Amino acid sequence: MQDLSSSLAWRGDHFCGRFRAMASPCELLIDCQDEILARRILDSAISETRRIEQKYSRYLPDNMMAQINNGQGQPVAIDDETYRLLQFANTCYELSDGLFDITSGVLRRAWKFDGSDRLSSAEKVQALLPLIGWHKVNLDEKTLSMPPGFELDFGGIGKEYAVDAVAKLAMQIAPKHSVLVNFGGDIQVTQPRAAQQPWQIGIEDPNRDDHALKLIQIRHGGLATSGDARRFLLKNGIRYGHILNPKTGYPIVGAPRSVTVAAEHCIQAGMLATLALLQGPDAKDFLEAQGVCYWICE
Amino acid sequence: MRIKKLFLVGLALQLSACASLGVQPWERDLLAKEEMSLSADAVDAGLDDHIYFSKEGTSGGRAFAGGGCGCN
Amino acid sequence: MQLSRKKNIAGALAAATCSLLGQPAMAQEAQGSSETPWQFDTALLYYGETDRVTAVEGVVGVSKDFGDEHIFSGKLVLDGLTGASATGAVPQPYAQTFTRPSGNGEYQIGAGETPLDDTFRDTRVQINGQWTQPIWNDYRISTGGQLSKEYDYLSVSVNGSLARDFNQRNTTVSAGLSYAFDSIDPEGGRPVGFSSMPLRGNYASDDSFRQAFDATRQDGSDSKNTLDLMLGLTQVINRRTIMQFNYGLSLVDGYMTDPFKMLSVVDDGGITSDLLYEQRPDSRVKHNFYWQTKYAMDNGVADVSYRFSTDDWDIHSHTLDSKLRFDLSDNTYIQPHFRYYQQSAAEFYRPYLMQGDALPDFASADYRIGEMTAYTLGLKYGILLKEGRELAFRLEYYQQDPKNAGFEAPGVLQDLDLYPSVKAVIAQVSYRF
Repeated sequence: MQDLSSSLAWRGDHFCGRFRAMASPCELLIDCQDEILARRILDSAISETRRIEQKYSRYLPDNMMAQINNGQGQPVAIDDETYRLLQFANTCYELSDGLFDITSGVLRRAWKFDGSDRLSSAEKVQALLPLIGWHKVNLDEKTLSMPPGFELDFGGIGKEYAVDAVAKLAMQIAPKHSVLVNFGGDIQVTQPRAAQQPWQIGIEDPNRDDHALKLIQIRHGGLATSGDARRFLLKNGIRYGHILNPKTGYPIVGAPRSVTVAAEHCIQAGMLATLALLQGPDAKDFLEAQGVCYWICE
Repeated sequence: MRIKKLFLVGLALQLSACASLGVQPWERDLLAKEEMSLSADAVDAGLDDHIYFSKEGTSGGRAFAGGGCGCN
Repeated sequence: MQLSRKKNIAGALAAATCSLLGQPAMAQEAQGSSETPWQFDTALLYYGETDRVTAVEGVVGVSKDFGDEHIFSGKLVLDGLTGASATGAVPQPYAQTFTRPSGNGEYQIGAGETPLDDTFRDTRVQINGQWTQPIWNDYRISTGGQLSKEYDYLSVSVNGSLARDFNQRNTTVSAGLSYAFDSIDPEGGRPVGFSSMPLRGNYASDDSFRQAFDATRQDGSDSKNTLDLMLGLTQVINRRTIMQFNYGLSLVDGYMTDPFKMLSVVDDGGITSDLLYEQRPDSRVKHNFYWQTKYAMDNGVADVSYRFSTDDWDIHSHTLDSKLRFDLSDNTYIQPHFRYYQQSAAEFYRPYLMQGDALPDFASADYRIGEMTAYTLGLKYGILLKEGRELAFRLEYYQQDPKNAGFEAPGVLQDLDLYPSVKAVIAQVSYRF
């Protein structure tokens, strides 16, 4: 069941609004003293988040994602927002030479990263590979068509996109106030705070399984983390993280457990973090070459 | 109940994690201000340079010391 | 993936993010690529020393970005100078008579007063232009020229520099060269170094005086060449701090003597027995080390710089300059200014020469190359108007305190002020539109 509750609280020098969406705790820190304005921002954020979630969730029937995934090889009409998201995914596919592929979600059927030593069987993986390949998808501004059996999954970009979309909305509602949007550690700040002090937030440290919090400071821009230290398989001393190579169907070996990147926008940070993980042992070199601020957990 | 530990990741650490000194392009909000430009108040600086050039034994530093005028 | 492609990913993602979120590209980038209107910086400055020089200087600066960082800037400066300037001669317990630099006439200096030449009068016009543009990925070139003309002085210079940005423009390294040619042709000619100043009273007729005066003069003009090399490093430290380091090497060759300056030759009692025109070396090698830091505060800017300068004339100087800008409101600010300057004397600096001593190779009593400290205290008030216009007022106090560089004054000179302070007021109005 969806948790529809939300809360708004005054915390010394800002308002903190909370709700749950996209399987994450969602938090808004609002640098203003006007409760009505804060409430307006929070309500708008909740409805915008729910709108995106309902449009692109894989678990709901009859939404945009369901229409696309049930296309059965026929062209499916898409709207402008979907087209822009798919274009972004296309750019990421090209930039990563095919390593980031939103058609690779079907591999979930072969892999369960539950900490055990149960690797998938070669047959299972081989059977799924023909269902993967973004280059087989036809996309234009109005329609999308993909081979039967293909499925799209916005798992790698949906939450970050929602963070940026909410931040943009908050900026429109309160152009003079700083708002921090934090959806389970994917963060966007609309602008520096009035007194230039940093926002301080605790994010769950993905490197520890005791739910320890890491306190970070952020003034502006976006921050996102890819990787999950708790989702892996371990066999014969080799650790298989949950990041899968869409070309082989197997986990990328030797990647850091998680990567956090700071960038102008949350989705940009998230994609840089994901692309870094896809580089496996070269993740650090990749991030160095990009000249971005990052934190790696090996 | 589990004890939640807080790890303070200070500014220094944030800096050291960066590739090198400097800022990202979108962090140039303050540096982009006109008064933060190294060439801000160029007219004042030019007038001052001329005064001190003609009244003191050394000149230059900020820009070319150059030739000048008969005042020195 | 190839490394060459890896480099572009962050940039390509930024562009893709912009089209996804429907936001325009970064503000700075948008600014950088578009043409801007001409910007004019004008200023009128008054400089007035107590009992000495008064100068008025007007400046019109123009600049324009023709797009893609192709920037032209130019400046026209006009200044007028009148008043009196220290000649280098020492005061005496009685009135002194001096021949004017042109040889036409004399002037008297009262007992105990610092000899000043009050015929100082000059008008200068200076024009310069500078063009800067990117040439290759992260490289920029800048080239320019300057011309400065006075009644008896001409200076022409050209410069060029190359700058390269690194590390997302957080680091800039530059190297530049400048060459200047100066020509001087003072009224009445240039004195022969160490020649004695003739006084009309010592000659029977105007003709015999004129003959003696002309004998102290060299014909025609003389010149000097200045070659400057400058290496610069600009570094963004963090979101609030930017630093600049410069090293400058300056090679000067030619006539550097001041044709209006002289030295008193005094006896053991401190009484002047002769006046000699000064003589300076014809080469000078200077080194400048300059460091500047600007720090963006929440409501202002701190600007601190330090310069160390040294040369083979043995003039070593330290300059500390700080400006603190405080924004009073969204469109007004005040900016206190403090500058401290300290220099050692040139090795040939002499406040006077002793009668009977062998003449040195070079000597000058110009206090400006003697030991001194100086400080400036100032305040600027600025008002930001609409459309980038700005009106500002500046008022400063400048004081020079020449010091005795270790010379033991003989006789009457002990009771006279050989190192008088120079006090000046600087007032300026500037307007940008």
